[in-house]
Amino acid sequence: MDKIKGTVLRVFAKDVNTDEIISGKYKYDELDIKKLAVHTFEAIDSKFYEGAKKVKNPILIASENFGCGSSREQAPWVIKACNVSCIIANSFARIFYRNGFNIGIPLVECKDISKRVSQGDKLEIDFSAGIIKNLTKNETYEFKPIPEFMQKLLDAGGLMPYLLKNNGFGE
Amino acid sequence: MSKTMTEKVLSKKSGTDVFAGDLIIAPVDLVFAHDGTMPLAIQQMESGLSKQSVFDPNRVVGVCDHASPSPSEKVSNVHSFMRKFAVENNLQFFENGDGICHQIVVERFAAPWKVIIGADSHTCTHGGLGAFATGMGSTDVAAIMAYGKTWLKVPESFKVEITGQLPEHVHSKDVILHVIGEITADGATYMSMEFLGDAVERMSLASRLTMCNMAIEAGAKAGMCQADEKAREFLESHGRGKEYAPLAPDKGATYADEIIVEAEKIEPMIAFPHKVDNVAPVTQFEDVELDQVCIGTCTNGRIEDLRVAAQILKGKRAAEGTRLVVYPASRGVLLQAIKEGIMETFLQAGASIGAPGCGFCIGRTVALGDGEVALSTQNRNFKGRMGNDNAEIYLCSPATAAASAITGHITDPRGV
Repeated sequence: MDKIKGTVLRVFAKDVNTDEIISGKYKYDELDIKKLAVHTFEAIDSKFYEGAKKVKNPILIASENFGCGSSREQAPWVIKACNVSCIIANSFARIFYRNGFNIGIPLVECKDISKRVSQGDKLEIDFSAGIIKNLTKNETYEFKPIPEFMQKLLDAGGLMPYLLKNNGFGE
Repeated sequence: MSKTMTEKVLSKKSGTDVFAGDLIIAPVDLVFAHDGTMPLAIQQMESGLSKQSVFDPNRVVGVCDHASPSPSEKVSNVHSFMRKFAVENNLQFFENGDGICHQIVVERFAAPWKVIIGADSHTCTHGGLGAFATGMGSTDVAAIMAYGKTWLKVPESFKVEITGQLPEHVHSKDVILHVIGEITADGATYMSMEFLGDAVERMSLASRLTMCNMAIEAGAKAGMCQADEKAREFLESHGRGKEYAPLAPDKGATYADEIIVEAEKIEPMIAFPHKVDNVAPVTQFEDVELDQVCIGTCTNGRIEDLRVAAQILKGKRAAEGTRLVVYPASRGVLLQAIKEGIMETFLQAGASIGAPGCGFCIGRTVALGDGEVALSTQNRNFKGRMGNDNAEIYLCSPATAAASAITGHITDPRGV
């Protein structure tokens, strides 16, 4: 993965949890992620699903600790099913961060990004250089490049394709 | 070089000396998932991998506990899908009513020095027994089910030193709520919280499990306690004494952060809506009227917790207008509670008793109504957690829950 260009769909506050991303009321009933995705962020933004359809390569921005709470992988899956191309947060909760790479959705930790970027901004993210260009505001922000192993996961498209390619963990 | 408990366990497992920051491929001793996460793991394995069988049926555990017993035909179909995979692969499979995955794992499988991965964020519970245990998503669990291995970054550790004597009616739940209030919901992100100090040494194993269970609520990857005589006694009482091995951090181990808690100063605490780090002494919220009081969960549904609650409720009734709901954490806990007359106490107090499982905590089989207020011994009070976005959830210890059920509003158990 080299570069992604997209538009900021929404800027979230701190501590957005997995129950807010996809409520427990739905996840035990439905195995089809596309059907579940209709309820993405429903508790905090009932128009999210429809709004995501109207933007090309939507990017989500968040403050600290995005994705805290349960390990439910349905959370990053439904976000991916809304065609979100990348999530950039001041920081992520650990399990969500890991899940994102495993299912092939790039997550970037960039200090104070939630204060610098606004809804509707056009961004270009250069993963190998560790640079985000804000084309709307004409600013650039730096981030620590993604660790090598996780870069490999993203390049493969997630953990499953990585394991398939390497016939396991490659030992 | 001195090591934390986490570094010691992961060094032994990976066969090399590893320290915080190292990336390792580690063999996994036990992997488990439940009805909310295993179906997705099965789908991932079946659609994404060439290896279609589990690495070792004795080390893969599936539990129907979250939406259990099934409340709908859709959930029943999800359970059937999981059950079919379990039968085909000869997994360790636990049915509706057997209990919560964490309680089943702690009673039957967890032991010091093991690496345990669960597709549930509260997998950190098992660190209370000296295991390195952490929650992951369904894709990670699919990979482990197939290959018996996972990739891990060795976490830095956060030392939580708890000293002195806890006052009467103050429990480990109050301590962990206090700690989360102090360090906040992301205070230990990516770290392993190691609970040390003389107060922890005196705690029962169940009390330690309660603290480790909530390490994730401070963002931690794991929670760990020393494996000592208490761990040995616990394993022996479950017929697994041979699995005991002591574990303690080395002197001079490196901790990224540290907090010292003076047990004498801890009061009964609550977390108020809608975040676990909204922590305050119970006395600040005593005017909150309650529609439902819930006792149970992987945090506080063990026999020790039920004993504490029953002692306060004995001969009393839940207040009119306040529903009392009790879910024992496992079949074993329920059987023991029946033997001790605890269930009789709950029933006479007006409680409704649910089948061992997650029950009210995730709101799929028991849900709150609009505008209702609940007080629960569970670990999370997020908006919508108990099945309704327009309800409020307060978290507390079993003692506070029992005292509050009697009065119908949040009540300090020291006054009952």
